[in-house]
Amino acid sequence: MQNTFGNTQQTQWDWRAAGNFMFGGSGGALVLMAAIASWPGVPNLVVGLVALGFVGLGLFLVWLEIGRPWRFLHVFFHPQTSWMTREASVSVLLFAATLSGVLLQTPALLAAAGLLGFLFLYCQGRILRASKGIPAWREPAVTPLIMSTGLAEGAGLLSILLIFSGAGEMWLLYLLMGLLAWRLASWSYYKQRLAANNAPAAALQALDSVNRPHVILGNALPLLLLLTVAVMPDLLQPLALLACILATLSGWLLKFTIITRAAKVQGYALGKLQQGRPTIKPPVRREKDRFVFDRD
Amino acid sequence: MHAKVQPEVKRVSTYCYQCVNGPDLLTVETVDGVATRIEPNFDLKGEHPADGKVCVKPFGLVQKLYNPHRIKRPMKRTNPKKGRHEDPGWVEISWDEALDIVAQKLNATRAKGVMDENGNPRLAFTTGGAATPFKYMGSFPALLFAWGPFDQSLGAGGTVKCYHTEHMFGELWHRAFTILPDTPRCEYVISFGMNIDASGGVTGVRRHADARKRGMKRIQFEPHLSVTGANATEWIPIKTKTDNAVLFAMLHVLLHETPIDKLDVPFLKQRTASPYLVGPNGFYLRDPATKKPLLWDNNANAPVPYDRADTDPALLGLFRVSDAIEIGADEETWHYESVEVATGLEQTRQLLADKTPEWAAQISEVPAATIRRITAEYLAHAHIGATEIVDGRELPLRPVATVLGKSVNNGWGAYECVWAHTMMQVLVGALEVPGGMLGSTTHVAGDTDWERALTVAAGEDGFMTHTFTPTDKEGWDANPFTRHAHNTLTPMGGDKMGAQLFGSTTLAWLRLQGRAAESWPKPNPPDVWFLYKCNPVISHSETEKMGEVMAEFPFVAAFAYTLDESNHFADVIMPEATDLESDQLHRIGGGHYFENHWESEGWALRQAVVAPLHEAKDFSWIANELARRTGLLEAYNGAINAGVCGIPLQTDAYDFSLALDQEHSQDEIWNAVSKAASHDLSGGKEVLDLDWFRENGFKTRPYSRLNWYLYHQLEDLGLRFELPYQERYYRMGKQLANRLHETGVHWWDKQLEEYEPLPGFKDLNKLWDEIIERNHDVKAADYPFWLLTGRSMQYAWGGNVGIQLMKEVADNVYGHDGIVMNAGKARAMGIEDGDLIEVTSPVNSTRGYARLRQGVRPDVVVMIAQFGQWKMPFAKDLNRPGLNALVPMNVDSLDGGGSSIDGTKVYVTRIGAGL
Amino acid sequence: MTRYVMIADLNRCVGCQTCTAACRHTNATPPGVQWRKVLDVEWGEFPDVQRLFMPVGCQHCADPPCMHVCPSTATAQREDGIVTIDYDLCIGCSYCTVACPYQARYKVDKPEFAYGDLPTENEAKRFDERTLGVAQKCTFCSDRVDAGVAQGLTPGIDPEATPGCVNACIADALSFGDIEDEHSNVSELLAENTWFQMHAELGTEPGFYYLWEADDKRQGTSRVNMDVQDTQG
Repeated sequence: MQNTFGNTQQTQWDWRAAGNFMFGGSGGALVLMAAIASWPGVPNLVVGLVALGFVGLGLFLVWLEIGRPWRFLHVFFHPQTSWMTREASVSVLLFAATLSGVLLQTPALLAAAGLLGFLFLYCQGRILRASKGIPAWREPAVTPLIMSTGLAEGAGLLSILLIFSGAGEMWLLYLLMGLLAWRLASWSYYKQRLAANNAPAAALQALDSVNRPHVILGNALPLLLLLTVAVMPDLLQPLALLACILATLSGWLLKFTIITRAAKVQGYALGKLQQGRPTIKPPVRREKDRFVFDRD
Repeated sequence: MHAKVQPEVKRVSTYCYQCVNGPDLLTVETVDGVATRIEPNFDLKGEHPADGKVCVKPFGLVQKLYNPHRIKRPMKRTNPKKGRHEDPGWVEISWDEALDIVAQKLNATRAKGVMDENGNPRLAFTTGGAATPFKYMGSFPALLFAWGPFDQSLGAGGTVKCYHTEHMFGELWHRAFTILPDTPRCEYVISFGMNIDASGGVTGVRRHADARKRGMKRIQFEPHLSVTGANATEWIPIKTKTDNAVLFAMLHVLLHETPIDKLDVPFLKQRTASPYLVGPNGFYLRDPATKKPLLWDNNANAPVPYDRADTDPALLGLFRVSDAIEIGADEETWHYESVEVATGLEQTRQLLADKTPEWAAQISEVPAATIRRITAEYLAHAHIGATEIVDGRELPLRPVATVLGKSVNNGWGAYECVWAHTMMQVLVGALEVPGGMLGSTTHVAGDTDWERALTVAAGEDGFMTHTFTPTDKEGWDANPFTRHAHNTLTPMGGDKMGAQLFGSTTLAWLRLQGRAAESWPKPNPPDVWFLYKCNPVISHSETEKMGEVMAEFPFVAAFAYTLDESNHFADVIMPEATDLESDQLHRIGGGHYFENHWESEGWALRQAVVAPLHEAKDFSWIANELARRTGLLEAYNGAINAGVCGIPLQTDAYDFSLALDQEHSQDEIWNAVSKAASHDLSGGKEVLDLDWFRENGFKTRPYSRLNWYLYHQLEDLGLRFELPYQERYYRMGKQLANRLHETGVHWWDKQLEEYEPLPGFKDLNKLWDEIIERNHDVKAADYPFWLLTGRSMQYAWGGNVGIQLMKEVADNVYGHDGIVMNAGKARAMGIEDGDLIEVTSPVNSTRGYARLRQGVRPDVVVMIAQFGQWKMPFAKDLNRPGLNALVPMNVDSLDGGGSSIDGTKVYVTRIGAGL
Repeated sequence: MTRYVMIADLNRCVGCQTCTAACRHTNATPPGVQWRKVLDVEWGEFPDVQRLFMPVGCQHCADPPCMHVCPSTATAQREDGIVTIDYDLCIGCSYCTVACPYQARYKVDKPEFAYGDLPTENEAKRFDERTLGVAQKCTFCSDRVDAGVAQGLTPGIDPEATPGCVNACIADALSFGDIEDEHSNVSELLAENTWFQMHAELGTEPGFYYLWEADDKRQGTSRVNMDVQDTQG
């Protein structure tokens, strides 16, 4: 039996960190979606810049949050195990590939950029999963949730851009429908796993508080709207636009909630009583990972 | 590369005496002359019972030293109007001017005579912290002695905030100003609210932790789950103020449900007054020729004087005695041809006849089966018959103890609790023997608080000597010497140096407020009042009224390190050098206060770790200056020579005395004390000067554990513990009643009723309801909660509520930041954790945030520590509720010894949501 | 090999916070930054209530999540198991803070002092600008351990080589030593007592052990329901 106590709200990662998951995730997925949508061609510069704008905004918000912003280059020092290093590294490549791809109009670079966008999203899912101190994050089911919502947001955003430019794509909307279904399933599975793993009640409450808006307004209603569009393609402009906006905003709400409100810390607990001298496990001792530089 | 300048790091030995459990030695690290860090004194490992550790409080001393809110130089008041809402108009002045102002007042007062027209001293002096401030006052006490009579009755909380009844009766019975289990050997402790893990200092905490590890069981009766209850074997949430019922029921189980031969019969027969026969008028039946108390000798089947050899005294039963006398109050004597009498123990048994566990269960809400089980466990753990050899002497080993907390120890009901818990020891022979309950420190029975063994001497009727303030016609003093009339009203306090401390401080304040002792004139405020290391406006009761009285005092000189609620009413404030800035040599070790029993003793130096900051001055320097300016230098030096600084400077063995007609620097004074102390400690083999102590910190020698116990001393002298029957106390009460009535005093009659030879049970909850209704225009039923306080180790005694670090760490301990309430009860009242609530007593109300907890009775609310500051920097911004403002002061609530509890009945209302 | 661990005996601890204060002194942390502190815990329902005091802080895990997530390699682990933070490498991203299941990490972005905006003399003397904006936590007083070992002293036995909190503990509740030495103070304590590790199920393998007695040793009140498991069996 576990008696945990002190499951307070973490305060280290606030709206700024949430912003990275919200906008960065959407941006990474947008690159991927744009690459797919334009294959074998290359999307226009605006789409590329918008996507990078989202990623850049996310990273900028994180930069605002860190205590020593001018040491930001140190973020690249630990690719061996740190998903943050990996995310940052991917983001550099993502920027390079996307920018050069759209500027040079090189499909191969764009394809790589799409892959990097996907990787970026995956890194974000793993960043949360590696956060052992936060039960609502470390749950493995968080990764597919982050992926599914990111992709849904990316598809949604791309559709919005295309609809505004008068070139809405039905297949993209079908893809979005599939992603929304996946997101719904991931969301449900995520919450179910959290409850099964004794996540702090307050975390579950925070998630439950957005459950109805998320499920109904963020997933069910967009699905319904998109179904309507499938039947009545004439209504694409108003209905699909609304569906995409709802789907994207709902994803952001979800991630904002997970990062800020549901981020109750592990808390403290008594453990299982043992008897006898413990079996000693040697320290992992990753000292060799340490980045060494001349400090004189 | 450039060479870094290595900082100069030093470690300086000193001690902390912020509570009665001191002194605790410590070291202070200084870096380039700045004190940075407190550490234990590791040199004491193995010698000090807690290996030289210090508690959390001294860690606040560095912040205290550098606190920006310190008073930096002397100040005088420029606004003659005093009041809470008056700005004193402080202006900084030179030390010269400050000392001149004080000296002029003293000289003018002295010119009028040291006593005023009421016969009260014109000079009054108040400190807090159970005399621990004297450990910081350097040679200043010598100035007070040189002055002559001074009044210490204007207490800061004594008799409300102390173990008052234990002090008085404990000293009478076994030289126990305070009591403790012999924890290193004890197996079973029954504690009625004694919060030893918060109040017992470093040694208390360590000894109890070791004992728990060893398997000692501790049963904690307490209305809330205190720090100590947390680590108890069992917490029993007893109804507030019903400890007396449970204790009586435990005695009932031992005396009515247990065969007498299961008790410690030899102890009862030989070392107690159990067999003494009690006459029809309540006094011992005595032999007409020798006037010695009689006992019934089973061998001779006849009454014999108590000290006849080779007797087998009867413990229980009724006996017919021919030709005996009884001597009552004022020598009233009765002669009996033939009379049937009972032994003291038989009377005790009869007193408890109907005090069954079932009876107690009704009152206390402690199940009868629990009372029986605990009593049985207690008896089993007493191991009656077991012995232990201590330094070659065979002593009984009785590893059980019953101890009382503070609010059980004062006010109505305390007499029966103190008596009953000591009787729990007596019945199993566990008093002053290894493993059992011991005393520590003497203030009533002896002038030295350091070695109580020296106070054991043969007195009358086979008991130890004891001095009471006289109550006989010739000796009784009808004129109150102090404003609380300790010499007139509370004879149990004795006549030693500390006697004033046992008078009722509440009565002093009530009299100054014109609310008590109507047949006596209202006392004048002191012409000069010295105030140091205390804050009565916060720490006494009904605190709003305290300030109103102080505002009328003509001249108040405060020694202070920050502004506070009491020196707000001062005329002059002088910044004394604080703990880490001043010097004083003091005794360490031996057997002193609560759990502070060592197997070594000696002396330690508190020394300036850094030079005094700003213009703070060492107290000895201040004393020197005032002694000179008041022309008291010779008497002052004389007092130092006589031993006021801890040890006489001149004995037959040595002479380090100071020349009387010269002024001596503080270093010269403490150098002489160092030499005398080391000479005395080493039996003349070693004379160590002040520099040696500065370097080495302390000097000790072995101290036999035999000194922890008194049993063998009584055995050697053929003496008995004065229990169970209280003949002397009873006679004293009768005589006091006679004296008071002869002089027309009837307002103390309720208190006189407490002078019973065996304490009768009082229903204290009913009594409190009556007191409330009699003194206030309210219905007691409207006040359904008891408001209690709880000891905070972080805050207690130290006057450190203005220290940020203390606030920070105390906040980790539940309840410091609000009002503790039972969660279930609170929710039933619509109160959630963190809600703002108001607590109202018959005299005042206060607000704070509700802190919901399961570990508190539903009919109790708790306010930890002492808050309510409105002036002290930092503290005033804490906005924390203080219990003291709510506790009523009235003569009704004073018991026979003049003490009262720091609790009250209250009601609780929800004001709104919290922050 | 050496692995330093700490032990807190919950049957001894009285929650006095002397260790908390001593840690603040030893490491000159700013107000509110308590690398070591003692929790005051209550559970149950009146009148069947338990209250216990539980020292917490960095558990110096054998497999520390904070180290794995750290993007700058500021958090590392010494050969002796002590988990360290390099203040010059740390970017203050707080990833370690959310990765730590023991809430052991702090970050202070701007100077904070006991009394307002200005440091007191002692605070000024010990102020270290390097600690601003970076993660900080208990170091097991590695500087003391190292200095002590260099002098041939034994950590956990000799005060000069022992963490400040352990030195200060008045209940003798805290112990420190080398668990890989089977005759060390900590090895003996663990062999002689029942114990647990916090959140062991997270696989962190904490270097912090809690001594605690099973139900049957404490009469009268029901303890948390905990089965005793014999590690040897």
